Amino acid sequence: MSTWQLADQTLNSRLLIGTALYPALTTMQDSIVASGAEVVTVSLRRQNTAGQAFWSELKALKRLILPNTAGCYSAKEAITTAHMAREVFGTHWIKLEVIGDDYTLQPDPFGLVEAATALIKEGFEVFPYCTDDLVLCQRLVDAGCRILMPWGAPIGTGKGLINPYALKTLRARFPDLTLIVDAGLGAPSHAAQAMELGFDGVLLNTAIAKAHHPIQMAQGFNYAVQAGRAGFEAGLMPEQDLAQPSTPILGTPFWLGH
Amino acid sequence: MPSIGIAGAGILGRVLAWRLVQAGFKVSLFDSDSKHGNQGAVWTAAGMLTPHTELEASNAVFELELSALSRWTSLAESLTGLVTLNRGGCLVVAHPQDTASLAQFNQVLQHHAARASAQAEHLDYAALKDLQPELAERFRKALWFPQEQWVNPHEVMHALATKLLEAGVEWHESSPITTLSAYTLQTPHHTYTFDCVVDTRGLGAKEAWQGFRGVRGEVIEVFAPEVELNCLVRLLHPRYALYIVPRPHHHYVIGATQIESEDSSPISVRSALELLSAAYSIHSGFAEARIVALRTNCRPTLPDHAPHLQVERGLLRANGLYRHGILLSPEIAYQLEQQLEYALC
Repeated sequence: MSTWQLADQTLNSRLLIGTALYPALTTMQDSIVASGAEVVTVSLRRQNTAGQAFWSELKALKRLILPNTAGCYSAKEAITTAHMAREVFGTHWIKLEVIGDDYTLQPDPFGLVEAATALIKEGFEVFPYCTDDLVLCQRLVDAGCRILMPWGAPIGTGKGLINPYALKTLRARFPDLTLIVDAGLGAPSHAAQAMELGFDGVLLNTAIAKAHHPIQMAQGFNYAVQAGRAGFEAGLMPEQDLAQPSTPILGTPFWLGH
Repeated sequence: MPSIGIAGAGILGRVLAWRLVQAGFKVSLFDSDSKHGNQGAVWTAAGMLTPHTELEASNAVFELELSALSRWTSLAESLTGLVTLNRGGCLVVAHPQDTASLAQFNQVLQHHAARASAQAEHLDYAALKDLQPELAERFRKALWFPQEQWVNPHEVMHALATKLLEAGVEWHESSPITTLSAYTLQTPHHTYTFDCVVDTRGLGAKEAWQGFRGVRGEVIEVFAPEVELNCLVRLLHPRYALYIVPRPHHHYVIGATQIESEDSSPISVRSALELLSAAYSIHSGFAEARIVALRTNCRPTLPDHAPHLQVERGLLRANGLYRHGILLSPEIAYQLEQQLEYALC
């Protein structure tokens, strides 16, 4: 597979994964390895972190850390958490989550734009977790975001791409931006579908961590992302309403034709 | 009989001491806390003996838990009059908007054939109402695991202390271990030698275990006279795993958070809100409950979330009991005793 550019980093894998909900730390580590992911996202909000065993184990895997602001409900909270993350992990990357609805964990678009604007001014590379709304995405781009992470579906639902039309629109309208589908994926085929749409990557957590066999599922997503990307790069054939024979029909007796 | 020095008077240390005393060993117990102190993780534990509904445990840990559950019967018998082994079973419920979580729970259960054999009963509304009428006000169906049990860890700890002191165990309270090696234990002022040393400390022994960490857990105890539940209740939710454990006289323990942080500071507002809201969502009678205690501690955890033993001549160690310390202690104590033959050579 060809390499790609994520912000200031050149990567091989287009799969980014989370670190929550695993049945054991070793399962998480083995799943990360099996997924091939080079970027892992970690939450900071509820965890006092620096220097603790969980983090040293994570660092030992030598992946790029994308801290997130999961659990923040206002721009102010998210900004404070981003500052903490920069200090703890020594990175200017931040996966920006500002939650607007406690149950669905749907992003608050207004708080998100406010926080993104402030953090970009401070030199952060902001990875905003957003809905697939075109106008919201445009506002985030106006604020200086070079990366957008629209949801496939609400976090943890495993529903896949519930609005492929909106995602296609984003790809068409922002051809040069890095677009990553974040959240809502349940099956490897969902990841492949996102990649076939021309998205630059996918980010997920629950579908792997909560599988009966997380390590095997991580491998499944690894393959799916590669398959979907290869499909996109190779150029998918357009759908046809009528069957098109792939062998010439010349010479077929007329009474077998239509 | 050989002399055994046990470092750590937590649940594992006490259960082991009790086993060894009954087998005729001469036992000394050391702890940084006082005899009646309550610093260890056990004092925060809810005391659930529930292998069948702890679906996160690996199959290997599940097997250990099953064996541990049967050992609890004889342990409780040896503490008759002091400890109640509650055999009230466990109900697993989810609110209507979270029925997918119930389906997922069931799916995981079916996936592990060994666990499915536990045969959870699917209760419809009538059956649920029959079993726990007060829960039928908020829930229309439930999964029922009659095999699940629980104890009150405080009761168990006091009972073991009483029995051990009666049996003449030498109890060195307020004696933190400064150095621990084969045959030898050192406290700030003395060095003690034994035929074998056993280290049952959890967090206190972290240097001896690679990749050891503490995982924060928070629980709340309430007094709820309006609530009448006499079984364990697990509430499924897409993001939290919550349970309610009955204690005598309308007391209930609501737990537990699980946070990747070696931090024993007081419970956070968010955790308290989550736990109490969950309790209220199960039974409206919790609204007028009184908060009796808010407890926080760290579970001693190894990277694979399973318990491990280290065995050498003159020294045994066990650690990593994680969420299952109360349940697993009799099993791990048994395994340690099995290793004594080698360690005492």
